[in-house]
Amino acid sequence: MSEETTGQSNGIPSKKVLGLFALAMINVAAVLSIRNFPSMAIYGWSCIGWYILGAVMFLIPISLAGAELATGWPQGGGVYAWVKQAFGEKGGFTALFCEWSNNLVWFPTVLSFIASTLAFALTPALANSPYYMFSVMMIAFWGTTAIAYFGEEASTKFGNVGVILGSIIPSILIILLGVWWMGSGAALVLPPLTLEAMVPVINFSTLPFFATIILLFAGMEMAGFHALETKNPQEDFPKAMALSAIIIVVCTVLATLAIAIVIPANQLNLASGVMQAIEYFFKAAGVPWLVAPMAVLITLGGIVSLAAWLIGPAKGLGIVAEEGNMPPLFDRTNKYGAPVAVLVIQALIGSLISLLYVFLPSVNQAYWILSAMTVELLCIVYVLVFASVIKLRYSQPNTPRPFKIPGGMAGVWLVGGLGMFGTIFAFIVGLMPPSYFTTSGFVYVGSVLLGTFLLAVPPLVFLKFKKSSWCKSAGGVR
Amino acid sequence: MSKYSQLEVGLLIFLIVVALLPFGLILVIAEESPYHPVSGEPVNEAALATGITVTSVKDTTWNLPGATGGKIYVLTDNTGEVVTVSTQSFDSAQSREAAIRLHNAHQVGRGKPVGSLIVLGQQLVYVTPANSNILKNLAPELKKKISS
Repeated sequence: MSEETTGQSNGIPSKKVLGLFALAMINVAAVLSIRNFPSMAIYGWSCIGWYILGAVMFLIPISLAGAELATGWPQGGGVYAWVKQAFGEKGGFTALFCEWSNNLVWFPTVLSFIASTLAFALTPALANSPYYMFSVMMIAFWGTTAIAYFGEEASTKFGNVGVILGSIIPSILIILLGVWWMGSGAALVLPPLTLEAMVPVINFSTLPFFATIILLFAGMEMAGFHALETKNPQEDFPKAMALSAIIIVVCTVLATLAIAIVIPANQLNLASGVMQAIEYFFKAAGVPWLVAPMAVLITLGGIVSLAAWLIGPAKGLGIVAEEGNMPPLFDRTNKYGAPVAVLVIQALIGSLISLLYVFLPSVNQAYWILSAMTVELLCIVYVLVFASVIKLRYSQPNTPRPFKIPGGMAGVWLVGGLGMFGTIFAFIVGLMPPSYFTTSGFVYVGSVLLGTFLLAVPPLVFLKFKKSSWCKSAGGVR
Repeated sequence: MSKYSQLEVGLLIFLIVVALLPFGLILVIAEESPYHPVSGEPVNEAALATGITVTSVKDTTWNLPGATGGKIYVLTDNTGEVVTVSTQSFDSAQSREAAIRLHNAHQVGRGKPVGSLIVLGQQLVYVTPANSNILKNLAPELKKKISS
């Protein structure tokens, strides 16, 4: 973690502190989530098929596309830099803003996950108190923002330790208990494994889940936001993508199966959360004393995931502001190189939304619509990324790319096309209301599209009012 | 305030308002689900009223604070579609809201949670999968229970 050189982008010094491992851990923190395991375990052996679909239609394409784009354009800003190269500032800013604004809707859910999981380690009934929930949510949110304030080095150290303790170790523990369970001769709740059992059932009922699966591995591009702080981006990015993808897939598939073979599906069907499943699992395995420590570790995993999503897009917006696409008000960095203005604005908006989420029941209950908006916003980001990797092969064929998607133009069309198909499919299916929805389908679709539009359009407004004085490099008065 | 121009402050306010607007939208279109006692077995009654077969019923209590018990129904229709519906009563509005928050917090990846959660007075009704013809048929009957 020693700092090697000092890089610079638009006048902002950047410490080169990130190596291969740190980059990989950023992606693992963003994508690997123990929250997913019980929900996926409901599907039994067919979760393998679902995971394969998610890997083929999204994880592999985004990893390959991200690796090529990050090594070809390692200027910092992640998706902003990549999409800007292909589609100009409007495209790049829109992609980045969609990634940032979808976080605003996601923050309350991950924060409430953190608070309720911590309550499980203390007194589960605490989760019933909105005051407890809001207090812990704010401590986690502003605490993570404070870590980001101290720059890349501090957040990297926190991220590395946190992802190992909070995501990887709990996953390995679940896997080992599953192996022990099998070795002990205890009854497996799943039928014998067959090829047929692994094939997912795809029909009208499972379409929304299929769309969800495509975005199961969203976040693989997160390391790209940290290009300026990476020691050797052109060599490390592809390796980090591969390493993180392997860790994520191995932990996710094996831990999900471990839960699926121990806990009957009807116990996982009860709308209860990961801690309820873990408690059942650990009690069945004879280690109930591990439940509370596990809750603490999973809480830490939630915080690390929050940190990865909170810091990455905020850094991207910091770059956008540096380049003069947002007013100087948004372009305030501290001595650690952290985009403090964006971080504080993000924390203020996130706190307001969390307040509404916890204290207004009708928002709480209608969160499905907001979740649908986050899906649509993320789909916009990924469609633009996949389109960029294809377009740049034509518009900038001679730009050196230390990593190229194999197979020439056919390969890039296959990878980009598969990724685009998956995300466009997820976008369309994301507009399907659940069968039980008390408002009309038209209102549902209209609301989702209007909300998505509102959260995607600000870049166009910022660019409309853009002034030359906003740009540092243009000698603007700051 | 003199450090920043009106345009900058205006754009900041615009950003905050736009970020909060979707929540305002939800407030406008979301229907209230007040906490109140619901008698009988709404799912069973809705299934009977719509010709959906209840193939099994089991008692269950979710491992959540304030959960006081409910049923797991396995429903099937004449097309062979199978849906699992789990109901649970809660002892207070706070415990019911906490259960809803927990459900929302368990999104798969960055998507939506698995299954659909319906609020029915003091009860929560959890249905997997979220989209099915059975649920579509049950919905009008369950809505009557909400309004009654």
